[in-house]
Amino acid sequence: MKKNKLLLISGAFALLASVPAMAEDLVIGLATAQTGGLAPYDQPNLAGLQMKIDEINAAGGIAGKFPIKTIIKDTRSDSAQTALVAQELVDAGAQLIITPCDADPSIAAGMITQGAGIPAISFCATTPTLPLAVGDFMFSNYPADNVQAAMLAAHAIESGYKTAYILTSPDSAYTLKLPQYFGEAFTAKGGTVLGEGTFSMGQQDFSAEVTKIAAMDPKPDVIMTSAYEPDFPAFVRQLRGAGVMTPILGSDGIDSPTTFGLGDLVEGVVFSTAGHATAGSPLEAFNAKWTEKTGAAPDTIYIANGYDLGNIIEAAVTAADSVDPAAIRDGIANLENLQGVTGPITYKGTIGMPLRSVSLVRIKAGDRELVAQGQPDPADIPAP
Amino acid sequence: MSMDIFLQQLLNALSLGGTYALLALGLAVVFSIIGLINFAHGELMTVTGYAICFALIWGLPFPLAVIAGLVVAIAAALLMERIAFRPVRGASGTTLLLTSFAVSAILRVLFQNIISARPIPVSIPSSMSGVVTIGPLHLGMIQLISIVVTLVMLLGLNLFLHRTMAGRAMRAASEDFAVLRLMGIRANFVVATAFAISGLLAGVAGLLWVAQRGSVDPLMGALPVLKAFIAAIIGGLGSLSGAVAGGFLLGFIEVILQAYLPDSLLPYRDAFAILLVIAVLLFRPQGLLARKTLVKL
Repeated sequence: MKKNKLLLISGAFALLASVPAMAEDLVIGLATAQTGGLAPYDQPNLAGLQMKIDEINAAGGIAGKFPIKTIIKDTRSDSAQTALVAQELVDAGAQLIITPCDADPSIAAGMITQGAGIPAISFCATTPTLPLAVGDFMFSNYPADNVQAAMLAAHAIESGYKTAYILTSPDSAYTLKLPQYFGEAFTAKGGTVLGEGTFSMGQQDFSAEVTKIAAMDPKPDVIMTSAYEPDFPAFVRQLRGAGVMTPILGSDGIDSPTTFGLGDLVEGVVFSTAGHATAGSPLEAFNAKWTEKTGAAPDTIYIANGYDLGNIIEAAVTAADSVDPAAIRDGIANLENLQGVTGPITYKGTIGMPLRSVSLVRIKAGDRELVAQGQPDPADIPAP
Repeated sequence: MSMDIFLQQLLNALSLGGTYALLALGLAVVFSIIGLINFAHGELMTVTGYAICFALIWGLPFPLAVIAGLVVAIAAALLMERIAFRPVRGASGTTLLLTSFAVSAILRVLFQNIISARPIPVSIPSSMSGVVTIGPLHLGMIQLISIVVTLVMLLGLNLFLHRTMAGRAMRAASEDFAVLRLMGIRANFVVATAFAISGLLAGVAGLLWVAQRGSVDPLMGALPVLKAFIAAIIGGLGSLSGAVAGGFLLGFIEVILQAYLPDSLLPYRDAFAILLVIAVLLFRPQGLLARKTLVKL
């Protein structure tokens, strides 16, 4: 009797489980950071993605038939918590998981999603080895470090720089590897790296490092670093303060209002970023739409980047014509030349790090001046 | 040439050490009275940063914005004491420590979700980016200000502790709180004074920190409070002059290692710095300038 009851109950549960919440909902699980060190990146990405999701749902869902349902859980910028949250989202029936803007927690979550056969996309991890570390269900949504580095190196050579000094921090893959990729690409094109300095993130004291750079003989033609807030402003203030006027190349981490608020100190600095709103570009239209909706202009490219993640999901599910996780994965992996608001996006032929356009921007009188835009020659991109 | 560089690095060490000394002093002032290591001290710096930032946005001139920042820092320290620490006063050291972690975590999440998760730029006047050149040596305006301000604060605090009634009461409290109360001094007054001083020190350090970085963000206080903690430990917890000595020593160790470690070892600079700190503690387990009596927790 007892056994029968048990059978009955488990049968009922099996029945319940087999009935999907809503026949054709696409359930997206967000294992991203609302708090902690990654919140400055994940929050704007989420805001942009949410805008796209609202637009999709207002139009009746993807392709008019797959409305999007989101489950959002805070990872507190902690890798262990990210893995835990990813497991909860998988259990809750998510067909697609979004992971934080950094490789480490994305790998932690990827270990869960790869095993469950559910595609995962990082908001904006730039470490090119991320999909290699996880597997074929892992993607990112941002130009990789080595792609940005190749663009910067090409610019350095074109500008006639022969020697470079790179400043790295071992505290994160981004601050360590991007300048090193730059060094590789720069050397491959005939440049020479004169030295590599290091800093501790958050330390904001660069005086010892700056004293060394000021005493260098011969002086480098250019200094490349991926330091960002609060380190970059402190570095550039102390460097210029020591009378070193060497040109500086930076990467997308400094694409922030703080940098532009530094005035003369950053005049002429060139950095790589994920998009530039030229007149008539989709990004300009997006920025106008965002400003109209929220009342404030977007203060970071990550908002448009999150919106583009929505575009990727829409295109992949439309191509798959299904909300089956494996079909969505194939849909993403085969995307080619999707027109996003930040530029064309291609996953086909990559291991999961998209080919996306990189913009090089020069700071001129507190404003942006486009130096170059596009994708580097694949042969020039350093191997991850 | 290399002598010039050495002198320059010494100056760099003095400036960095000064900031650490201010930070460590802020921790030590409170610890010497109630045995609390306030890990929310860094958030007082963040509060100062936001106060200066918003004061500037509202159109106040920079000097007034700085005063507003310092006033807000003191007020925040007093509020912190009244709301979070007074109810657990006299509890075990662990309880106090955990309370301060909680205050710190709550404030960070509030900053992230009420103000902004992203850094907010603070327009520091360009005069503060200037450089003073003394012979072959360069000294950034902010570095110079931090050295001067540290000296002024140390002198001021010294006068306060030795020449005023409140100061004497604080020194007495750090020796024996019970006797002090028997003398008719209100405990709340002494503790609040300690927090106000610690708030002022955090405010000044916060100002210097923000001037250097040009922005405020919710997690800004995490690293400085850690440095302050290390400096206070080297100096001997509870000893005010020890905290100052610890701050300068830590700054000196960091700058000299950055300057003279071979390139291949540079990524391990912080590890070497901590190793040296441990070495100091092996020889002086109570810290450089430990008090003769053990601190009662």
